[in-house]
Amino acid sequence: MAGVIDTYLASLRQDLAFDPALAQRLAEEVECHLREAAEADADWPSPDAERRAVERFGLAREIAAQLARDAVERQARRTWLTVVATLVVTFVAMRLRVMWLEDLGEAASAVAPLVDRYAFVAAVSVAAVGWLAFRGSVLLLAVCLGGLAASIAAGFVRASLFAAGAPLGVLLPAAVEFALVGLLAWHVAGLGRRLRQTAALRRTVR
Amino acid sequence: MLKGHLDAIVLAALEAGPAHGYAIIEAIKDRSGATFDLPEGTIYPALHRLEQAGLLESEWMTPPGGRRRRIYSLTKAGTAALAARRTAWDRFSRAVNTLLGGGRPWPA
Repeated sequence: MAGVIDTYLASLRQDLAFDPALAQRLAEEVECHLREAAEADADWPSPDAERRAVERFGLAREIAAQLARDAVERQARRTWLTVVATLVVTFVAMRLRVMWLEDLGEAASAVAPLVDRYAFVAAVSVAAVGWLAFRGSVLLLAVCLGGLAASIAAGFVRASLFAAGAPLGVLLPAAVEFALVGLLAWHVAGLGRRLRQTAALRRTVR
Repeated sequence: MLKGHLDAIVLAALEAGPAHGYAIIEAIKDRSGATFDLPEGTIYPALHRLEQAGLLESEWMTPPGGRRRRIYSLTKAGTAALAARRTAWDRFSRAVNTLLGGGRPWPA
């Protein structure tokens, strides 16, 4: 039959399931703490000594909720850092494409340049609003991501990079912006997942 | 109120030297005269947060004949952060003491 400490550790692992590595690390550390606390109890060894150690430690779900909130903050910081990097690289890549097309004498569709430019402007505007007032908003980040993806796709269509034999100075920034927008999508999805997990833990702590 | 200062309290508890979670919480209880009676588990999110911020570092150690423990210690950045938080706290507490203790009259 599982002891009080073992039951508590199982509950902690379950509540920290959003981060298996952290769950493993913390469960080991907390086990060490609880066993030491129980052994310091006058009634050791007994289930009461274990129970008192667990009671002094606090609810597993509250600890998991705090760790989940910290994880959301870290994920949000990473996501915003990626937003800034993607905006800068997209702007540089766009300018390089435009300069190259001007040298060639651009003869692309009328729609692609407009989407390229205004989707980027929309992404910058949404990012600015999000940064100033709603840093935890996945919706704004998703809109910003959509704007950047549309701008990059339109830029690719506008320049027909590979078909037109673009130079490395144009292809390389295009590859980097493509990779960054993928990374941003991954971070935005991760932030959304972490926010959902934190909200679920908060609901059950209350 | 205490939770807002928990990170600084943990950093201060580690100033004396490396320690594991249980020893840190015991040190906080002892040094505060049992005034700070937080749930002991509260310390672990703080330790993890401070480590992620580069203010602490940790490693598993097993003393001879003892239990394997994760030992935390201050990094250089942690020592600097503690000094900065101490200065900020001194300034804040002096101001509050003045207001509450009647050190100086209120502006007329």
